[in-house]
Amino acid sequence: MDCKIRTVLAIAALAFTFGMQPPAHAQDSNAKTLETGTFHGKVHTTSGRATIYQEKDGRLILRLTNFKTSNGPDVHVILIAAADADDDANFLKSNTERVELGKLKGNEGDQNYAIPSGTDLSKFQTVSIYCERFNANFGAAPLEKF
Amino acid sequence: MDSHIRFWFSRRKWVLVAVGLPVLIGAWWAFRPEKLWINQKVNEPAPFASSTDPQPLYTGRLEGKAHQTSGRATIYKTADGKEYLRLTDFSTSNGPDVHVLLARSDDENLKQEIVKGQVDRVELGLLKGNQGDQNYDLPASVDLQKYDAAVIYCERFHAVFGVARLEQF
Repeated sequence: MDCKIRTVLAIAALAFTFGMQPPAHAQDSNAKTLETGTFHGKVHTTSGRATIYQEKDGRLILRLTNFKTSNGPDVHVILIAAADADDDANFLKSNTERVELGKLKGNEGDQNYAIPSGTDLSKFQTVSIYCERFNANFGAAPLEKF
Repeated sequence: MDSHIRFWFSRRKWVLVAVGLPVLIGAWWAFRPEKLWINQKVNEPAPFASSTDPQPLYTGRLEGKAHQTSGRATIYKTADGKEYLRLTDFSTSNGPDVHVLLARSDDENLKQEIVKGQVDRVELGLLKGNQGDQNYDLPASVDLQKYDAAVIYCERFHAVFGVARLEQF
């Protein structure tokens, strides 16, 4: 009986200890800043900053800050294998390699996008706000080492 | 005759509606014109817990003038409110009496390699080394909206080694 109580207590103590541990996330406080750049855009005025962070577990995240562009249909965030993008409407007619990061979450404000693991950042050097439907580059941010 | 015309008219109207409506809907779907004045705002937090680490406020790349200069200049703010300029991947020419300044990016003097007038500046001290990462404390309450450029400047020859235009991080 006494043994049983002790076991229960031990389990409770263990559960308490693990339950009290800070979430692993808290240790990621100092994510590394890898690259940064500012947007320029002609087709639609686009401004703000794009920064790539690396979390402690290695995941890459693109963060847009002070960001502003035009709203539009089917707008995506992509990384392109180019040093920069022209402020040209039809810049992706050629077969520019790209990495899709997802639909633009909002045309204004701070936002994060996960970058697929294994993306070669030395190759994909520019962020583009890209309107899929009209093959239009709303704005581009060439990234440079932070 | 009269009814014939009316029949045609109404039929044409029906055809117009049958053809025109899908075209209109298609055009609306493709262009979504209302998005021109409807904004979609988001405000996601940084992907990591905000910490007590110094936060970058402004940053820019150094560009060489009188001497080849490269690297990044970033102004950080510490948790207790102090600000400092940090140079990273930094490389410039060595020289006599080289200083680090904050100046105004629109200062005409900085457009030349050799300054003839007076640079409106905030002095940050002697350059500690012509290569490598280094920090310079900013005096309290510098107007960083006004002084938006970091300058590597040779006092003796009034030579601008390099300038970094600082932009909001």
